Amino acid sequence: MSAAWALGVAHVVQVSPLASDGGVWLLAAGPAGAVTTYWLIYRYYRNNDKTHEFERDTLIAAQPVEGGEEKVDHISRTRDSDIDGDNHRQHRSRVDRVR
Amino acid sequence: MTQESAPQQPPFDGPPLSLEEELAAARAEPEPGPSIETVNESLKDGLNRCPKCGGTDVQLRGSTGNLVCLFCRHEWQEARVEEEFGLGEGIDQLDGTVIASGARRIQADVADVLTFKCEACGAEVVVDTAHALNARCHWCRHTLNVNQQIANGAVPDAVLPFKLTKDEAVEKIRGFASKRRLFAHKRFKAEFVPENVLGVYLPYLVIDARAESEYWGKAEVETRRWTEKQGDKSVTYYAADVYRISRKVAFTVDDLTIEGAAERADLSSGTTNNIVNSVLPFDTKNAVRWNASYLVGFTSEKRDLDVENLGPVLEDQLLSIGRSQVEPSLGRFDRGVRWEQERIDVGGSRWVSMYLPVWLYSYRQESNGLLHYIAVNARTGETMGSIPVSKPRLLLAALTVGTVLEGVAGAILVATS
Repeated sequence: MSAAWALGVAHVVQVSPLASDGGVWLLAAGPAGAVTTYWLIYRYYRNNDKTHEFERDTLIAAQPVEGGEEKVDHISRTRDSDIDGDNHRQHRSRVDRVR
Repeated sequence: MTQESAPQQPPFDGPPLSLEEELAAARAEPEPGPSIETVNESLKDGLNRCPKCGGTDVQLRGSTGNLVCLFCRHEWQEARVEEEFGLGEGIDQLDGTVIASGARRIQADVADVLTFKCEACGAEVVVDTAHALNARCHWCRHTLNVNQQIANGAVPDAVLPFKLTKDEAVEKIRGFASKRRLFAHKRFKAEFVPENVLGVYLPYLVIDARAESEYWGKAEVETRRWTEKQGDKSVTYYAADVYRISRKVAFTVDDLTIEGAAERADLSSGTTNNIVNSVLPFDTKNAVRWNASYLVGFTSEKRDLDVENLGPVLEDQLLSIGRSQVEPSLGRFDRGVRWEQERIDVGGSRWVSMYLPVWLYSYRQESNGLLHYIAVNARTGETMGSIPVSKPRLLLAALTVGTVLEGVAGAILVATS
């Protein structure tokens, strides 16, 4: 990416009303696209994320799930759209073991 | 009015032991747990004879999964261990750790090299059990097989015969690699010879288990969502109820399969062992009693991990299975769940060692020394692989896409200025 091109983009950011009201994020599309392309192709070739899905592919006979829930707090105002440290789908991430 | 309960009397357990007896009991070796004897007694002499003509030139016929006598063409197969040793039954009543005789502890002082006395001619024949479990007598040409369970991990309880032929495996590997040509490393493409694929029996421990797992954590339910104007921007805010939750599930697993060789069990990022791991599962219900003739023409890897080594791996996998089982009960917590503590109680487990068949193509990348595998499950045909990547090509593609996207973004900004 040439310096002149980068300067041009900087100029556009300065003059563009879209840029001034948050359109700057559009300029992240290039680097983000490049990184995503690299990652997707690399993963397709190397398959370094693949393992045996034993949670799904094993014969499992489970009894009904038991449990309880108790309301302990209320968050009246937050910008977070979900709970901190959500791990309910990451079955293999281990937490404190109770012996 | 409550009734007062009488103090509980301990049950009579005989007269108290003397100090010497107590000390002797404390020093005593733990009693061996229950076991399943899987030795194929009929093959004890090392000569696997054709039941029809008595010939010893016996090997696996891949297309049928049967043993075939190369002299009279008679075909037969060993009994399935599932029925022979009742492996599919009573999982919900398992208690303690039951270890089949082929999965017993490996003894470090047992040598890999066995010397056989050929029962046919009396000659002595050497077999290196780390790599092979058959050898041909150089005098009388009889094939000798390691059928007894030596305590070095080389002979398992059961074997799942190869089903896919070499030609079928080559086609699978070629198909897998041909879809990944464009960004493949130049040298890999030049040196790619799928015909060099090797049929390998890899050692696994196949486990039935009964367990109960429990989890504790926090969960949140969204109660309100609204938007506020802050200058020119709109910001979304949320309100939520926070819950302390717990879940418990009891379950059984049938034929959970874990690597029995330390080298294969290492799934860290510096290896491509995850490729071999990802071609699991196998149809382990069709595994048959040990007969070394199934290995003729194939190589094998020796088991070097014991049940004690793999206990933590089993617990880890059972915890993951339990977590996946309780997930459907968390639907109302739309802001998610954060598990903080977990517990597993393995009520009982049954361990059987098996050789499972894999067609393995390997390629060592010179530039970083990484060993890449393309593996084919020789029962189901499931194929997975790691292809060395040409990083300059990949960078060029990434930069091209990035530049195009940046150009489009710039054009949009210019158009709206």
